[in-house]
Amino acid sequence: MDDPRSELPAEALTHLDGLYNLARWLVRDPAEAEDLVQETYLRALRGSHQFQPGTNLRAWLFQILRNTFFTQYRKRGREPEAVDPDVLDALGARRVTERGGESPPGVASGTLRADLRAALDQLPEDYRAVVLLADVEDFTMNEVADILGCPVGTVKSRLFRARAILQELLRDYVR
Amino acid sequence: MDCREVRDHLAELTRNQLPPDVADAVRAHAAGCAECAESLRVEAALRALIRGQAPRYAAPPALRARVHASLREAGRRPAPGWRSWLSLHPWKVGGLGAALAALVAVWVGTTWLAADPVSQLVSQAVEEHVEYAQAAMHRPAPDAAGVLAALRSQAGFPLGPLFAGDTEAQLVSTMTAELRGKSAAALVYRNGPKRYTTLLLMPGAGVTIPEEGRLPIETFKPHHRVASGKQVLFWKQHDLACLMVSDLDGAATAAFFLKIRKAA
Repeated sequence: MDDPRSELPAEALTHLDGLYNLARWLVRDPAEAEDLVQETYLRALRGSHQFQPGTNLRAWLFQILRNTFFTQYRKRGREPEAVDPDVLDALGARRVTERGGESPPGVASGTLRADLRAALDQLPEDYRAVVLLADVEDFTMNEVADILGCPVGTVKSRLFRARAILQELLRDYVR
Repeated sequence: MDCREVRDHLAELTRNQLPPDVADAVRAHAAGCAECAESLRVEAALRALIRGQAPRYAAPPALRARVHASLREAGRRPAPGWRSWLSLHPWKVGGLGAALAALVAVWVGTTWLAADPVSQLVSQAVEEHVEYAQAAMHRPAPDAAGVLAALRSQAGFPLGPLFAGDTEAQLVSTMTAELRGKSAAALVYRNGPKRYTTLLLMPGAGVTIPEEGRLPIETFKPHHRVASGKQVLFWKQHDLACLMVSDLDGAATAAFFLKIRKAA
């Protein structure tokens, strides 16, 4: 009982960096992100009997983190941002009118990494989560759907829309 | 395959997650569709960009230690079953222990005490004494004659002659009580700083003084025992059963008993 691995598979702690990265993107504040990760592991430990050995431990941990994020933010009355249709419309309009123009607002014309960070930050939260899980963490569409608890079609559609926004924000890099 | 289907497969195509025949169909469509070809190019470019260049926040080294410690701590908690119920409801454990203790007390009370009604009586008398003594501690001594008169009228049974106190022991309070369902009259004396004696009187009919544990004090032989650190004497005088509980030591209790017994 002294070794946590007797309850949680040893592999669990190897995903700490990925979990923290997603937590930082979700809550932004470093201290809150740490709390979220710690709570994720504790919930995983408590629910370890529900984990089927041989199935995807990493996806399971990310799912717990995502659910913990949702429940904790609901408790605080901080609903995750919804997709604002106006943002999409504005971006769509700009695609037509600003082609070849100056950099869109919100993306600093600095380094690639800074621009990428700014672009991801501008994504609605639902879209950002899909991009981070699918591209940064390299989960399959089915895994992302499991983690987010939504149909695969929704994941694909969010990713496609996120691409449209990112293409606009990062057009200098994907031209 | 139309443009919409291609769009649905873009992400999986760039991740090599499509069956070969579906992947071929997507590529074939894109080869003849400029818009889908552009979508495919953008998808691949953005994915490569984000995968390779998006900033990753590295977990602080302290977080790993913190998580490990919290898991270790949580792992020490009891295993599932009733023990996990206890770990989830620690605040109930105290109540559970108290309930268990009460159950044991009831069991002991119904077996041991039922066989010894005097012990029941003594036990309650000691409790009453402690309570009276605490209440009397901050109370000035009343007029002895007045409180004795009041007690006689309230007791509901004849009390006979009573010790009204002297220079060594003051009568500090009197009250009526009920001991194991019997009416009783209580007199509390202060024998000194934080030294009190309670005399409980009740109708003697049906009360038997145990033959064992008799303590010869001059010509009297009250039953004697020590309960909860208190000296306890139990005897009969006239038609009364008398129970005395005292903070005094054995010899002082015997001396005080003589005063009370001779006053009657």
